[in-house]
Amino acid sequence: MRLLDIFLLSLSHVKKSRMRSWLTIVGVIIGVASVVAIISIGQGMQENVQQRLGGFGADIITVIPGYFRATGAHSEMHTDRSVSTSSSINLTDKDIKVIKQVPGVMYVNGIVSGKADLKYDNEKTVVSVTGVDTSIWRLMDNTGIDDGRYLQAGDSNSIVVGYNLAHGTFLQSITLNRPITIGGKNFRVVGILKQSGGFGGSSDTGIYMPAEMAREVITEKVANNQFTSIVIKASDASLVEYLKADIDQKLMSSRQVNPRTKDFTVIASALIREQMSSVTQTLSLFLSAIATVSLLVGAIGIANTMFMSVMERTKQIGLLKAIGAGEREIMKLFLIESGIFGLVGGIIGVIFGAAISLLIPYLGIQALGFGGDMKATITAETIFFALGFSVVIGILSGIIPARHAAKMRPVDAIRYDQ
Amino acid sequence: MVLPIYKTKHDEEFLNIIELDDVWKIYKMGEVEVPALKGLSLKVAPGEFLALMGPSGSGKSTAINMIGCLDIPTKGRVLLAGQDIATLTELELSRIRGKKIGFVFQSHNLYPTLTALENVQLPMRVHEFREAEIWNRSEELLQLVGLSDRANHYPSQLSGGQSQRVAIARALSTNPLLLLADEPTGNLDTEAGKEVLDIFTQLNEQGVTVVMITHDEKIGGRANKIVRMIDGTLAS
Repeated sequence: MRLLDIFLLSLSHVKKSRMRSWLTIVGVIIGVASVVAIISIGQGMQENVQQRLGGFGADIITVIPGYFRATGAHSEMHTDRSVSTSSSINLTDKDIKVIKQVPGVMYVNGIVSGKADLKYDNEKTVVSVTGVDTSIWRLMDNTGIDDGRYLQAGDSNSIVVGYNLAHGTFLQSITLNRPITIGGKNFRVVGILKQSGGFGGSSDTGIYMPAEMAREVITEKVANNQFTSIVIKASDASLVEYLKADIDQKLMSSRQVNPRTKDFTVIASALIREQMSSVTQTLSLFLSAIATVSLLVGAIGIANTMFMSVMERTKQIGLLKAIGAGEREIMKLFLIESGIFGLVGGIIGVIFGAAISLLIPYLGIQALGFGGDMKATITAETIFFALGFSVVIGILSGIIPARHAAKMRPVDAIRYDQ
Repeated sequence: MVLPIYKTKHDEEFLNIIELDDVWKIYKMGEVEVPALKGLSLKVAPGEFLALMGPSGSGKSTAINMIGCLDIPTKGRVLLAGQDIATLTELELSRIRGKKIGFVFQSHNLYPTLTALENVQLPMRVHEFREAEIWNRSEELLQLVGLSDRANHYPSQLSGGQSQRVAIARALSTNPLLLLADEPTGNLDTEAGKEVLDIFTQLNEQGVTVVMITHDEKIGGRANKIVRMIDGTLAS
């Protein structure tokens, strides 16, 4: 029997018991739609995290004072930056020199950051100020300049303003060359950064100025040769993990501390990003597993329907065998029928799943803990995966009923009474 | 009525279309062995109209399974067109059976999800006839049984007599050696039954070999040879 003829015969089964066929297909639709929606949301979530962490750059390593030490059930942060005594801000020129000598380090930027009072156009606020090495910051910044220029060597009373601070904070937007008073000193705006949308958004709401000026304006006291953090750019992103360990070692020996008395922390943002991804990956894997369960329920629905179909068609199976059909043809007849359930359910399920995914941003659901709007990303892979999976599941759940049908002896099948 | 049989001459050389040679069929009901056929020997020659008669329990259903090659004997030989069916694989048997024997059962003869015309086409599709032949022949055969106007009706829309006539058209579609009918009028009223029997008679007059099972003496009278069964073998 030609495949097309078998297919048309299968189709006639499906069409004849329309109600049952649709109910079976609805089971598959629910499974496929939830798989598609959950995978798409999971991917959207991951992209969200990547994008938000992306501002840090994969090749950036940061050294901060204090050390987070986990000791059994207790863990404590060995820092008291909130008190902001000078002794706690203990990163110095000497540390920068040590780090500069580590092979693979491209730039080192000593940062002096803190809060400062700001006065602009008779409005007052508190802003976070980041004091940077003017000759190096421009080389390390990933945000980019929207208007004006970066800080340069020789700047003293010049500042660069974050995009949101410039455009959303004051009644009058901050523009180039506007005078601003920070910590009682007068500054002139030389540049405005692009919007980074970055994690925490510090570059969007902050102010950048030379480190030596920052020491004077921020409320925290930072001594002349001291820094609140050190930001390092690696010559290559692939070196980051190795470099992090190397810097850690070199600083421990120069500062004469051991792992027990360690008083600084080296952070690689790339590694944080990896950890965050693995968290979201685990989360979406978990959700997918739940969705797969509903797909399995759909598969059981198909198998159930197929058994009923085989029972109901016992006499027809006998007839087909009497007129010359072989086991393989009977097998194909029922596998195609269950495959049709999988395919039709898969197609409609993908459409529903995509619709749910596209609606998610409009529902205003906030992404778990990431502070941004939830979004979903539907990829071609997801669609093909879901479709392929549902067809395979359809066929697989038809195998046992189809074998059952194929093995029937024509003499029993013909005499079978319903 | 002219039969659309294209080749009345079949290639193989054989005396009998079906030959049962000392056939036994023993069913096992748990521990007990129940013989349904006890050494049945029977020959069906080309052109015969044979009625197989007997009371219920005489083994005539088992006999028709043997004649139709739907089942394999426990002991003895069944020759279909001179070939021992025991030498064939299941698929080969299925193919040969489908091609050489046309079946008309008592009820549920038609494929319920297919129209009358599609039902007539079904055996030709199983045997992969050419598309043009499938259409020509199926239309001719429906015309032959007087149901051209019901071609697109589903079995549920046909009367019992009409269903049996479609079944006859389908049984003839592969141009079989033998038309095998199992109580074909069992579920029909007298009038519809007579119409169906007339078709069998006319087909036989044109050379189609017919074997029919029945318990009705009047119907059996239509045949030109009656074989009676009792207790699993021929009544002497």
